[in-house]
Amino acid sequence: MISAQSPTAAPSTHLIFTSLLRADFIVFLKNRKSLILSILLPYLILVSTNSKKGTANLGGSLFVIGLSITYGIASTSIMGYSLAVARDREKGVLQRLRVTPASAWAIMGSRLFVQVLANLIVALAVVVLGARIHHLSLSLGQYGLALLISILGGTMFLCIGQTLVALIKSSETVNSTARLLYIGLLFFGLLGQGGSLGHTWGTVARWTPVGTVMTLFAGVLNLAAWNSRDVQFLLAAIGYIVAFAFIGIRGFQWEAR
Amino acid sequence: MSSHGHPRQGAILDVRDLSVSYRTTRAVDKVSLHINRGEIFGLLGPNGAGKTSTLSAIEGLLKPESGTVLVDGVDVQRHPSQAKSKMGVQLQATSFQAQLSVRQIVRLYAGLYGIELSDHQITENLDAIGLGHEALKLFKQLSGGQQQRLSLFIALIHDPVLLLLDEPTSGLDPQSRRQLWLRIEHLRDQGGSILLTTHSMEEAQAVCDRVAIIDHGNVLATDAPNELIEQHKDDPLVRHASRGAVTLEDVFIGLTGSEIRD
Repeated sequence: MISAQSPTAAPSTHLIFTSLLRADFIVFLKNRKSLILSILLPYLILVSTNSKKGTANLGGSLFVIGLSITYGIASTSIMGYSLAVARDREKGVLQRLRVTPASAWAIMGSRLFVQVLANLIVALAVVVLGARIHHLSLSLGQYGLALLISILGGTMFLCIGQTLVALIKSSETVNSTARLLYIGLLFFGLLGQGGSLGHTWGTVARWTPVGTVMTLFAGVLNLAAWNSRDVQFLLAAIGYIVAFAFIGIRGFQWEAR
Repeated sequence: MSSHGHPRQGAILDVRDLSVSYRTTRAVDKVSLHINRGEIFGLLGPNGAGKTSTLSAIEGLLKPESGTVLVDGVDVQRHPSQAKSKMGVQLQATSFQAQLSVRQIVRLYAGLYGIELSDHQITENLDAIGLGHEALKLFKQLSGGQQQRLSLFIALIHDPVLLLLDEPTSGLDPQSRRQLWLRIEHLRDQGGSILLTTHSMEEAQAVCDRVAIIDHGNVLATDAPNELIEQHKDDPLVRHASRGAVTLEDVFIGLTGSEIRD
């Protein structure tokens, strides 16, 4: 099994990436409980706001659906992704992969690709459920745009998750911080959008990562009302992605020690 | 030593003036060593001596401050993917994805080295190392010896010219340890080259063709174990460490000191 002669050149990038993707998909499927949970919370929001008063308090059906998708993808990206990376780093799984010919980009890219797919599944499930529960009739184009925003929002939350694992080494601390951050975003978003925090904090809540994505979801689900303010939210989302990606990639360390 | 900038003739691994620093601490200081074809080379040193940092730089896991590492003539820094495809690595604490079965782990790592294996081929290979019945188990469900066999199998899955083993016998029972050394010697007899780190001086003396003793990031001595004993047997510090016939461990203690390292 060991060669006295020189082996061939480096293996193909295609085979490396498909091998990583296959393994990451298996891991993703075996973690389906977390995927179900990330659909369950949005479902509960959709059901609990299924009254005229509840929906109106949160700015209408479209806002509620946007809010639900946002929390679904934030849960898989901020809590699921960051914890999985932190645990694998702590156990030495990432280092074991890095001593193979696979590049760092291929190793992380495969994981991110699977996570983006998970976000799409969550978004699609929530839009379909939300439209049924809130008796909305959405066009195919609106579904498509909702999926595009879910990719954008998912990428932003993944970058936040990446920043968490860049700044914190211990998986236990990543876990607790991610939960706190998620709960904070959940309440700030809900209370801010509902107007319970007053005008100033409501405005702040709208420009947070959660508020930005929620507004964009509501915008694409009601295209007739799309305006220049939605473009500003789009730019804000891109700005968050760039900023968090910069910190998350630059500060990331492959070893937990 | 060959002239600077040219690969050493016949060397599978050629490390030149390698330095590694962590912030203000220099862990490896201008280390040079080479490993020939069909040679087992032991890198010995107390805790914190710079063994793992040296190995990590060779494996491409960390960027050295200066120096070069050539694996079969390929520069690890310039062509990492090509260099890594020539190396088989077993890390000190190997862990695979917890959710993957043994078969899935083998398929993943074969793919990362450009090898596509069918289920039948994987089963055949696992049978050969006595893990045929464990194909559907998770890595953590294997015993220590089985985990070690699987790790070594994966390190060798692509027929590398160089095998790097970081404390391969750590945590193994005597039977598993003996079996591992037999496998390593068998690999050497087939023409393979092996670089390993170990804390077991008896094993290094018995198995390694040459060893380097490293401390505080510097190589203190490099030679065949018996040559090192011969060269240092009259050293007062070595004689002081010795309890009878001088061993490699006595030379090691004599050169690196007897204080306990953390």
